[in-house]
Amino acid sequence: MYWKIFLFVLMAFVSIAGITFPIVDKPSVWYEFPFIPGLGENAKIIFFHVPTAWLTVIAFLMSCIYGFRYLKNKNLNDDVKAYVANQLGIIFCILATVTGAVWAKFAWGAFWSWDPRQTSIFALLLIYGAWFALRSSIESEEKRATLSSVYSIIAFVTVPFFIFIMPRIMTGLHPGSADDETSGPIVNFKMNENMLLIFFLSLIAFTILYFWMWNIGYKSILIKEKLQKNIEVVRDSIFNG
Amino acid sequence: MIQFLTDNAIYIVMIIVLIVWTGIFFYLLGMDRRIKSIENEMKGENNEE
Repeated sequence: MYWKIFLFVLMAFVSIAGITFPIVDKPSVWYEFPFIPGLGENAKIIFFHVPTAWLTVIAFLMSCIYGFRYLKNKNLNDDVKAYVANQLGIIFCILATVTGAVWAKFAWGAFWSWDPRQTSIFALLLIYGAWFALRSSIESEEKRATLSSVYSIIAFVTVPFFIFIMPRIMTGLHPGSADDETSGPIVNFKMNENMLLIFFLSLIAFTILYFWMWNIGYKSILIKEKLQKNIEVVRDSIFNG
Repeated sequence: MIQFLTDNAIYIVMIIVLIVWTGIFFYLLGMDRRIKSIENEMKGENNEE
């Protein structure tokens, strides 16, 4: 229970800080953010846009882990967990794409410009979209679970490349690209300590929120399947005996 | 207060985001409770068998 209150307070704090703390040229008080050339006021997007991309990675990693677990134990519950992880992963992937596009309209002048970052997240959407297509095309439960586990393990191999490597070694518009001189690589984003702190608090808050949503998601599916099995048992006992 | 909010519109955004977050949070909280109670109920049924 306490972690839920913690999540509520943390997310509220991140929202307050991320939205209202002023951006100034030379921060002197703890609640002031530094001005980042090329980003300006828009830099505050980092507290809400980057966590969605981060959750995409976490969710796809979890589906990969539960894919492995399913292949090892052949427990269909692991398949359900991987399924919900992938569902959340694709939701947050879409959110990252859309928030990025809205931001790009005002930072780069167009919603979509096939920047390496945009191209790579588009490829990710296609790869994981195909995962759902694959899943819905197989009827047998075990076969579906096995194939989608294998697919999500192989698909996750591409995630670090598309999210962390490709957009950084290619020249592009997104902060952190190879030729980006104004804001530098993401890791030393010219954020001051307070901005970095709120950024990491935001990552923590969104991660807790993800795990909560994932928990609710897979539990509800497990309950549904259990009820269905119970109904089948009752039906069989009525007709057969 | 009203004058302050009129001059600093960003705080209105903040208030709205906080209200939205509170709504989402309590929705999730309610869902979590409901699922837990269903789980407990199902556990009870299995024990009776």
